[in-house]
Amino acid sequence: MSHTDPEFLALKALGEQAGTAQDAAHLAQCADCRLELERLTRVVELARRDGPTPLEEPPASVWERIAATVGSEGAGVARALVPSDSARGAANGSGRRGPLAPPGRDVPARRPTGVRVGNSPGRGGWRRRRLRLVAAGLAAGLIIGAGGTVAVTQLTRPPASQVLAEIELRPLAQFPQYQSAAGTAALRKTQAALQLAVSVSAPPRPGFYEVWLLGANGTSMISLGDLNAEHAGTFTLPTGVDLRFYSRVDVSLQPFNGSTQHSSTSVVRGSLPATAAGAAEPS
Amino acid sequence: MPVEVPSDEDVSAAFGKGDPDALRLLYVRFGALVYSLARRSLGGQADAEDVTQQVFVSAWRGRDTFDPERGSLAGWLVTITRNRISDMLRSRQRDDRVLLHMAANVTTEDPAVPSDQVVNRVVVADELARLPEAQRLVMTLAFYSDLTHEQIAEVLQMPLGTVKSHIRRGLQRLRSRLEADRVAY
Repeated sequence: MSHTDPEFLALKALGEQAGTAQDAAHLAQCADCRLELERLTRVVELARRDGPTPLEEPPASVWERIAATVGSEGAGVARALVPSDSARGAANGSGRRGPLAPPGRDVPARRPTGVRVGNSPGRGGWRRRRLRLVAAGLAAGLIIGAGGTVAVTQLTRPPASQVLAEIELRPLAQFPQYQSAAGTAALRKTQAALQLAVSVSAPPRPGFYEVWLLGANGTSMISLGDLNAEHAGTFTLPTGVDLRFYSRVDVSLQPFNGSTQHSSTSVVRGSLPATAAGAAEPS
Repeated sequence: MPVEVPSDEDVSAAFGKGDPDALRLLYVRFGALVYSLARRSLGGQADAEDVTQQVFVSAWRGRDTFDPERGSLAGWLVTITRNRISDMLRSRQRDDRVLLHMAANVTTEDPAVPSDQVVNRVVVADELARLPEAQRLVMTLAFYSDLTHEQIAEVLQMPLGTVKSHIRRGLQRLRSRLEADRVAY
């Protein structure tokens, strides 16, 4: 059986309505295509998560320190790492970055940017109202951009889901065998539901990892589901769950013994901040 | 005249041969990646600068341990960076246990280990920045605007097929990069 068009999967991963009924039917019964879609979707989620992520250039002094440290260890290397301004100018003669010039802030954009992805959105910068742009307006923006940069941040939208909290999950002192384990949990609010995306880095062990919400009384708990082979999973929280009470995220290692109870072996755990519980409540 | 940003293959080849210019090439190509990872994991600029310096110095000293058969240069550097960030965080924890206590209620811009999420986001940003201009424009609009691929084609006056193929190849490229760097994503 031939698989679906890879472009269909790519568009679908972006959240577009794409493909024919046949594509959908194939997807429904083809595990390979579904896995591929899942992987692409994860890439999209990652890219969209907080909006465009700008890379930051280190200050020029960092290269100078590296050059100095390494240069003191071997003359051959040191010659190739001449960091001074005069040497830089002399080396390439034009002020453009030449073979001897260190990169740094004084050098014009090292990546020619037709699109400036998120100049400085900062932490709150992404909370932007959804802009409904007509194609004409956008085209105008792009024409301006042809000569320089387009501030795509202005064209961008908040992600389909809003991240209410992102916490680290840490090992517990009482389980020394999992001290190297770590994880993250992101609480997201979509239009329809609250979701918890959990990812854990933990040693492969017999059994499987299961995610729980623990109640403040220390005994109540809600099972959210199991992590996949890559120790990740996204779970829809029960509608109406009180996250002020069920505020702790716990990942257990469960043996394959058929029990639905928590195994009492917690690999990592973390607490959702109270502010997230507030934000999670229906407005 | 050398190209402004060397290709990963060039950097990798120069590095493998112990070329005297290899460290500079490595820094030109990956300086922002390493520094951004450190900045986002550590917060402070001074610590991020220290980590960046340590990473490139250790990469140079340990260049014999890089084996292109076993993974990408970027992945190798990311691993070194994560280790240095962890070292830095551990020394901070020793310095100030109060912070660790407080960290329990802080949302994670300042995590106690460099989180995969941070690494992944920075790696994605790095790869997006490496895309050819037209493709980067398409991917940026596909990710961050409300436009469908048909609208992107219209706005950029590109054939629909070209937009679709940019999107497909762009996503695949990001995905391979995440896998090549052996980052759990």
